Amino acid sequence: MFWHNFKYTLKIILRDYALVFWTLAFPLIMATLFNLAFSNIENGERLKVIDVAVIDDGEWQANKPFQEAFRELSREDSPDRLFDTRYVSREEANQLLADEDIAGFLQLKSGHPELTVAESGINATILKSAIEEIATQSQVIREIAQKDPTKLAQLGTLPTVEIEDQSSEHLSYTMIEYYTLIAMTCLYGGMIGMAAINQLLANMSTSGRRIAVSPSPKWKLIISGLLASYLVQLVGLALLFVYTITILHVDYGPHFGLVATLSLLGSLAGLAIGVAVASLVRSNANAKVGIIIAVTMFGCFLAGMMGITMKYIVDTNLPILNRLNPANLITDGLYALYYYPTFDRFWGDVSVLTGITIVLIGFSIWSLRKEQYDNL
Amino acid sequence: MKNTISVKHLTKIYQKIKAVDNLSFDVREGEILGLLGPNGSGKSTTINCILSLLKYDKGEIKIFDQPMSPDAYEIKRQIGVVFQDVAVFEELNVYDNIDFFCGLYIKDKAERAKCVEDAIKLVGLQDFRKFYPKQLSGGLLRRLNIACGIAHKPKLIFLDEPTVAVDPQSRNHILENIETLRKRGATVVYTTHYMEEAEQLCDRIIIIDKGKIIASGTPTELKKLVKNKPIKEVSGPTLNDVFLELTGKDLRD
Repeated sequence: MFWHNFKYTLKIILRDYALVFWTLAFPLIMATLFNLAFSNIENGERLKVIDVAVIDDGEWQANKPFQEAFRELSREDSPDRLFDTRYVSREEANQLLADEDIAGFLQLKSGHPELTVAESGINATILKSAIEEIATQSQVIREIAQKDPTKLAQLGTLPTVEIEDQSSEHLSYTMIEYYTLIAMTCLYGGMIGMAAINQLLANMSTSGRRIAVSPSPKWKLIISGLLASYLVQLVGLALLFVYTITILHVDYGPHFGLVATLSLLGSLAGLAIGVAVASLVRSNANAKVGIIIAVTMFGCFLAGMMGITMKYIVDTNLPILNRLNPANLITDGLYALYYYPTFDRFWGDVSVLTGITIVLIGFSIWSLRKEQYDNL
Repeated sequence: MKNTISVKHLTKIYQKIKAVDNLSFDVREGEILGLLGPNGSGKSTTINCILSLLKYDKGEIKIFDQPMSPDAYEIKRQIGVVFQDVAVFEELNVYDNIDFFCGLYIKDKAERAKCVEDAIKLVGLQDFRKFYPKQLSGGLLRRLNIACGIAHKPKLIFLDEPTVAVDPQSRNHILENIETLRKRGATVVYTTHYMEEAEQLCDRIIIIDKGKIIASGTPTELKKLVKNKPIKEVSGPTLNDVFLELTGKDLRD
């Protein structure tokens, strides 16, 4: 029964030409448009040193870890130089920011970094990431110092921040767009997942009613339908990668295996969203499609598809939203692979995405297990 | 004779309206039971409750002497349903549609292939195996709908207005199919608006209105309920007369 349903779900999906278009062709069209729109912007862009200011007050002077970290990241002779840092008063910093001479300034308040930026953008994002990392490492050092000061000698007392161009060529703003495109492609899998589940539901179609009265356990039907949908979606994803790499010459950086891993998981998360919408939302198919498109597009918007600024704004003001936003988790994981030398952030994103996927699929199966309706 | 279905005090309330009101009846093994009633009388709701598609508020439903529930898979294995609306996949051809639904009941490929072929022959779709539903006429679609519901050779078959909107030839063919199924030993629950169909096919008839059974019996017994039949009708009352007498002549939604 499992493979029987798998085979026929696959047939049904592949003969649904609108679904095939959205899954296979739409991402390629979007990739082409991105390429046309951004290729000129990209030419000659490299990771630039960011102009920043630090409020040089008593608190700054007392915080050695931050001082050392900024000194290191601003060293002119360093190939990894990230910042051109000016040490100024608050008033001067405000003026520099108003004159757009700096991307932002940092002030320490009660040991906590407070970042002010003129406008959100890639520089603001890098600045924020660097400061977060310094703060995290400072905290670790503080904790070690409290527990076992002798260990500090082994570790060294100063945090090291490594934000560098990890790509084989150069830091690409367009990459963010491609990352969100991958996220969108993954999440559009929700449409296939939803279609596969709708056909099993008695309140969605007469064929669903016929399936509902059959002696086939729902979980088997759901999992086999999901697997067929996943296969189709992976074909779509593979096409996108082949097309962007071979035709558009997109460079996904040195960790393509992990990019692919995250994309596979992202696709599953997309399907899970579709399954959840299909099984938990009591509405017609069109409304469900609308919800999936809205969730996907809004998620991609928050993750920076229409401008990286939005990602920064959400990360800064409502971080929980992006921590639960699958589009952002996919984008952020890919972004972390590109920008960070360690994989902590990447695996963090992978873990949350896995959790969301398991919860959505599990809850959907549970809710459909013995479903009966009030009316049909 | 054993009961295939036993319904006791079935009550289904939907939005404060009793869609099914304390309904009790049995369906005997091997009979064709007609479930008649105007639109909205509760026929389909009753069938959907029996099939465990709908929740109900009160009552007990047994099929083959076992309580019916959404996960009563052994009972479901022996049931076939032909819904009023054509329930097939537009993306699958005739053979694949029947094979898909049959495969939900029968695992063995060889056995299933035989069942699918038998069903195709029964409904006369031999020349349309590779046709997709949108290439079929209304009558052929109805026959495909029936084939999908009965290919696995169920012991109990629900037919919910299977002849709606088909030409007389297709209707006649469908009615012959139902007779064939009964001869094979299946028990049939049949709903229809066509009184002559019920009279031709059914061993017993239950007439439902406003969720209640208002009459039941053999066609002959039911005819006796009409006493004021106009004299000009020399052949006596038809079931159509019984139906209108009992449920009124007003149009329903």
